[in-house]
Amino acid sequence: MKKEIFEPFNSSDNNFEQCVKCTICTVYCPVLEVNPDYPGPKQSGPDGERLRLKDPNFFDESLKLCLNCKRCEVACPHGVKIGDIIQLARIKYSKKKPKVRDMILANTDIVGTMASTFAPIVNPIVALKPVRLIMDGVLKIDHHRIFPKYAGMRFETWYRRYAASKQNDFKKHVSYFHGCYVNYNFPKQGKDLIKIMNAAGYGVHLLEKEKCCGVALISNNLIKQATKQARHNVEAFKKSIVDKNMPVISTSSTCIFTIRDEYPHLLGVKNDEIRDKSELATRFLFRLIDSGKLKLVFKKDYRKRIAYHTPCHMEKLGWSIYSTALLKMIPGIDFVSLESRCCGIAGTYGFKKENYKTSQGVGKPLFDQIESSDVDFVATDCETCKWQIEMSTAKKVEHPISILAEALDVEATVKLWQK
Amino acid sequence: MKFDNIIIGGGLSGLTCGIKLAEQGKKCAIVSSGQSAIHFFSGSFDLLGKLNGQEVKNPLEAIKTLPDAHPYQRVGIKNIARLAVEAPQLLDRAGLQFSGKSDQNHFVLTPMGIMKPTWLTIDDFTRFEQNDVFPWKKAVILNFSGFLDFHTLFVQDGLKKYDVDVQIKNFAMKEFEAIRRNPSEMRSTNIAKVFDQGEDVLNEFAQKVNQLSEGFEVVILPAVFGLFTKNVVTDLKSMINKPLVLIPAIPPSVPGIRSQILLRKRFEELGGTYFLGDIVEEGTFKNNRLVAVQTNNHGNIKLEADQFVLASGSFYSKGIVATRDKLYEPILGLDIDGDIDSEKWLDEKFFNDQPYMHYGVKTDSGFRALKNGKPIENLFAAGSVLGGANALKEGSGAGISLLTSLHVAEQILK
Amino acid sequence: MNKNISKEYDVIIIGGGVTGAGTARDCAMRGLSVLLVERHDFATGATGRNHGLLHSGARYAVTDHESAAECIKENMILRRIANHCVEENDGLFITLPEDDIAFQSQFVDACKTAGIGTEILDPDFARRIEPSVNPDLIGAVKVPDGSVDPFRLTMSNALDARIHGAVLLTQHEVKGIVKEQDRAIGVELFNHETKQNVNYYGKIIVNAGGIWGHHIAKLAGVNINMFPAKGSLLIFGHRVNKMVINRCRKPSNADILVPGDTICLIGTTSERIPYDQIDNMFVSRQDVDVLIREGVKLSPTLATTRILRAYAGVRPLVAADNDPSGRSISRGIVLLDHQERDGLSGFITITGGKLMTYRLMAEEATDLICKKLAVDKQCETAEKSLPGAEKSEHPLSIATEKVYTGANISQKSAKDRHGTLAKNILNGDDYEDSLVCECEGVSIAEVKYAINELHVNNLIDLRRRTRVGMGTCQGELCACRAAGLLCESFEKPGKAKDDLANFLQERWKGMLPITWGEGINEIQFTSWIYEGIYGLKPDNN
Ligand SMILES: Cc1cc2nc3c(=O)[nH]c(=O)nc-3n(C[C@H](O)[C@H](O)[C@H](O)COP(=O)(O)OP(=O)(O)OC[C@H]3O[C@@H](n4cnc5c(N)ncnc54)[C@H](O)[C@@H]3O)c2cc1C
Ligand SMILES: Cc1cc2nc3c(=O)[nH]c(=O)nc-3n(C[C@H](O)[C@H](O)[C@H](O)COP(=O)(O)OP(=O)(O)OC[C@H]3O[C@@H](n4cnc5c(N)ncnc54)[C@H](O)[C@@H]3O)c2cc1C
Ligand code: SF4
Ligand code: SF4
Repeated sequence: MKKEIFEPFNSSDNNFEQCVKCTICTVYCPVLEVNPDYPGPKQSGPDGERLRLKDPNFFDESLKLCLNCKRCEVACPHGVKIGDIIQLARIKYSKKKPKVRDMILANTDIVGTMASTFAPIVNPIVALKPVRLIMDGVLKIDHHRIFPKYAGMRFETWYRRYAASKQNDFKKHVSYFHGCYVNYNFPKQGKDLIKIMNAAGYGVHLLEKEKCCGVALISNNLIKQATKQARHNVEAFKKSIVDKNMPVISTSSTCIFTIRDEYPHLLGVKNDEIRDKSELATRFLFRLIDSGKLKLVFKKDYRKRIAYHTPCHMEKLGWSIYSTALLKMIPGIDFVSLESRCCGIAGTYGFKKENYKTSQGVGKPLFDQIESSDVDFVATDCETCKWQIEMSTAKKVEHPISILAEALDVEATVKLWQK
Repeated sequence: MKFDNIIIGGGLSGLTCGIKLAEQGKKCAIVSSGQSAIHFFSGSFDLLGKLNGQEVKNPLEAIKTLPDAHPYQRVGIKNIARLAVEAPQLLDRAGLQFSGKSDQNHFVLTPMGIMKPTWLTIDDFTRFEQNDVFPWKKAVILNFSGFLDFHTLFVQDGLKKYDVDVQIKNFAMKEFEAIRRNPSEMRSTNIAKVFDQGEDVLNEFAQKVNQLSEGFEVVILPAVFGLFTKNVVTDLKSMINKPLVLIPAIPPSVPGIRSQILLRKRFEELGGTYFLGDIVEEGTFKNNRLVAVQTNNHGNIKLEADQFVLASGSFYSKGIVATRDKLYEPILGLDIDGDIDSEKWLDEKFFNDQPYMHYGVKTDSGFRALKNGKPIENLFAAGSVLGGANALKEGSGAGISLLTSLHVAEQILK
Repeated sequence: MNKNISKEYDVIIIGGGVTGAGTARDCAMRGLSVLLVERHDFATGATGRNHGLLHSGARYAVTDHESAAECIKENMILRRIANHCVEENDGLFITLPEDDIAFQSQFVDACKTAGIGTEILDPDFARRIEPSVNPDLIGAVKVPDGSVDPFRLTMSNALDARIHGAVLLTQHEVKGIVKEQDRAIGVELFNHETKQNVNYYGKIIVNAGGIWGHHIAKLAGVNINMFPAKGSLLIFGHRVNKMVINRCRKPSNADILVPGDTICLIGTTSERIPYDQIDNMFVSRQDVDVLIREGVKLSPTLATTRILRAYAGVRPLVAADNDPSGRSISRGIVLLDHQERDGLSGFITITGGKLMTYRLMAEEATDLICKKLAVDKQCETAEKSLPGAEKSEHPLSIATEKVYTGANISQKSAKDRHGTLAKNILNGDDYEDSLVCECEGVSIAEVKYAINELHVNNLIDLRRRTRVGMGTCQGELCACRAAGLLCESFEKPGKAKDDLANFLQERWKGMLPITWGEGINEIQFTSWIYEGIYGLKPDNN
């Protein structure tokens, strides 16, 4: 049998040459600040790329310490895609094979499928101290970590049983990319989204079959599989966006960022046809409201003090304004904005034993801010940030969509457009 | 998304313009594709340091002799005098204490050990009123061992002129071992982060400084204190038992980054929106007005405003772009004040007055940017994106940025 | 004989290019007492301004059989004795749709005759092994081309000469040849450092002054007819190609793309210039245009790749003695025994040839010197490795990998540049490993080593030894750090500051013809740092 040749996609499109060596990026790298073993964005990115092109032996395995938070890219005045360069270097040059542990962490959907089927068994087991110590010792998953709970009924199942049939009652339609987290761990977020979108007059549909966006596969260097899933998802998106003229929205900033930007930049999977019509639910709603096509009415008695944490990928997307603008529309909200900082988890990164210290060190300034902010809870668009903040502070974390759903006066909102 | 004013570029001019507008109740947004030139600044803002190769004593007087096309002339001498008083006050409200006079330059000590004339200096640094007097006779320069971005011998050499007995001492502290483990990371900002993190380090450091400087009248150190918080500098000064002279290290500059952070914070506290890491890609014009701009991140959600300010910087910040044979303003395609003939852009001597340094966006007398020869009614240009001066040769970088931006804000507020 | 001789050398070699250094090494290895004098620094003539191509000879196979055969022989020798200066990249000769594919078979046949191994590749396969190659190619032949670092090669030869007892003087310019009747007996030198004149005496004076040999010969009262041919090149910001890419056609302008260290080079143009212009190496806009236009045909990505510098060198072409018009130019090695030719004894000239045939040139010159001095010693330079290239029991790739594991960028780079001599560089300590030049990975230890061991007088010399300031930023951050270290060693801060200013001017010269795009952004930034923040002046700092 002919072995499938997998050639890593090469996108070093000379972008690294735009670097003028100003060194600004290194000031904003959260890892460099706490872990001196990391060579930093400038050295790992544009500088290192030149050396690696001279001789691949210049690749340094410590590049895996990069969180791929892209804060360096946001700071760079010259548009150098530093984070992409580093991730691509790992893809191209790393000789280390992913460990069993990495595979387990990376395959959020397979593990999720298994775990949610056996949720009543799995949840107590992974929460048990001895089990966590085994995970620590054998699998090198840090024992401080509590796995997110697996829900008993998957979101997809719930949707088919209880929500699907009603969606065709609406005149306008969107598709929803729920992502693994909503499906396996936290279906409520998906339900909240449906509540809001329905209230806004949109029917919500699932994609023909969505696969995990693959962000964890990419960061654990399981590129072949990530590329496969990316191709699958782009096709699924096309069926909705191109064939049915239905935009795709999501509640996960990481999934949407991966699909819009990492697919073409890191995996070489083209997404031109779908990119513009794939976005976050908060952005979709903001646009409707901003252009006067929608008005949301909120409950009079909703009163909360909320801090918003900008996840790294939201910082990169520049989209936190949509979530915060929506939150600020709720009359009863006392809004506190936090200085934008990385929480340190970066998906599966912080779960690895060797990264635990770095991860918590990176997040500390954020945790301190949160602890002293005196808020009811923290709002954020990213599920892994949610875990990290809940594990590391005393505060609960909610998705903006869930907050909106909670504060929304559905009937009053519906009335406005039904007239 | 609708704002009263949108500013393209979040450097010194964009931020000060935005702060002034926001202070007057305007709903402003700044879009900045990345961090700005403030990250490199020496600690001093120059108004006019040199004229025809001669050092300037009184910038306000000297400005009068500048050519008509110079941005200062276009702001107007009277306005300059007034805004030059206003500028440090605005900075002060952002938590940045600068001092200096617009009618008399003072001097600062550069990393080469040279006295350089300037206008406003941030209070981290020492102001010298005369360039031929160094007020101390016995000085010690202290450096972190292995910190290559501070050139003790150059400073020592420079001070010889003033008859100062200068000694150099290097010292190590275990807290800096960690950054040294990384061959590229012994930088000023990383040293500053260590000091930012804990008082103990600063205490230990101050003690060491006091020990090593015994018998000297003044201590000279690289400016590596207070990246995210200014207290470090004030604390250090109070802990050291003699005068402390800080000297800039190789950029990025610690007080520079702090200034950028504080200016942004002030702007945001006034209700401004700062989009960092986003690029303005193009604009929509209607009847000689700019109605909206499109950015990379916000795509089809355009940013609209009544007035726009272009403060996108010079070549360095990509406010102006040169290709093999073309010179242009990349965002809105505005008219350029510069040579069409690419052979004329550069001078073969590195240290000569480089023609390209004078290039920038063309404006009318009210700083409205020109497009195809016509001023765009609601689009102003400010800061180093403007043409008409070689700010490096003149020593007028921050002066032009600050004063044109405040002037433009006034035009908008009129 | 002149009476006030403090010491008389067996040989005085004029010129610190690769030919001079190679000759010094050969002479010293054969037990002669040697003085080498160079007016500026090693490799500041054609040696430091060429293409760095380790020819397989294929380029000359069709037109100049003798050169081709010489090349392949020396090519194989250099791989052995100078493996730390050589990159065994292999080369492609590609045929584009506009070229005549029939030339390919003629080319392959000629290579075969010269002893150059060839392999005809399927265009698809060529695209796979060299992804940067023009995808439109219709034919490709693989040959054993390579890259050679001229700075390292020259320095290694000089070092080995020194190890064998030779005395090396840089910054010493020959202003006259001391003669006694019809015999050359010494050189009059001007020391650029001390601004003093000094004479040295020797039994044989070797003119290895490259194109300047014309002038040096004049100083001795003899005439060599040299025709300077200027060639311009562009340096791109990074390595676009892995293999050398040539056009499979008659040699022409800008048809070779050579990868070397962190960069790649397109070249060259070729233009006869008047002799009085040989010190004015200016690359014109037209040259730049030709280089880009032709370069893009070899590898289309060059169109969007940042250009770091442009520079030019002069080939020392010598006209045959019976042809003063210069029409019949010899491209081979030229060894002139001026005793036989002009009746001036004690004076010989070695010139012509190529960078990569330097060893053979040195051998021929040294053979002649030995004959004259009646020394009977065989040449060993083809067998004995240069310092840094000593044989290890492992093949090179394994040996480097061994050094690399767990090593940081400073150590890897030092090993890359200095071969086994890297063991004398004090890397491995946090302080010593700190980077001076971040683009090229030059550490404090390497800079110190170069200052102490490799005849460094100023920042520009340091650049040639270590690649400080040769990277993307062209000295923006590192020049100042390196100047600080130099200053510590020489303790002349005033000079170090001027030196820094000179360095920036020298970098600027090469950037001038190609400064646009990122280049102009970067240079504005650099100017603000050095002039704005530092207050550096062009001189008298
Ligand atoms: C290294 C350096 C050091 C300097 N030091 C001093 C000093 O010590 N003292 C002094 O007086 N002057 C100094 N200057 C001069 C300096 O240029 C001015 O002082 C001033 O900082 C310029 O401010 P600015 O806001 O006009 O431009 P910049 O600071 O250049 O800001 C322009 C901003 O616009 C953004 N931008 C560009 N294009 C776009 C786009 N399409 N979309 C969105 N954003 C965009 C850029 O990212 C950048 O943040 C220095 C300059 C440099 C380069
Ligand atoms: C554009 C170009 C591309 C080339 N490409 C290649 C290639 O790819 N491969 C290859 O093998 N060859 C190549 N060559 C040829 C090769 O560079 C030269 O043949 C070789 O470097 C000549 O070395 P040299 O030592 O003889 O001369 P040079 O390197 O010129 O050395 C002469 C030295 O003498 C010194 N000198 C001059 N006058 C005096 C004086 N009065 N007193 C003291 N010292 C003095 C000079 O400073 C200089 O250092 C190329 C040449 C050029 C011009
Ligand atoms: S911020 Fe951008 S331009 Fe500056 S060093 Fe980093 S990558 Fe290079
Ligand atoms: S992506 Fe984040 S962790 Fe990685 S180099 Fe950039 S700033 Fe550092």
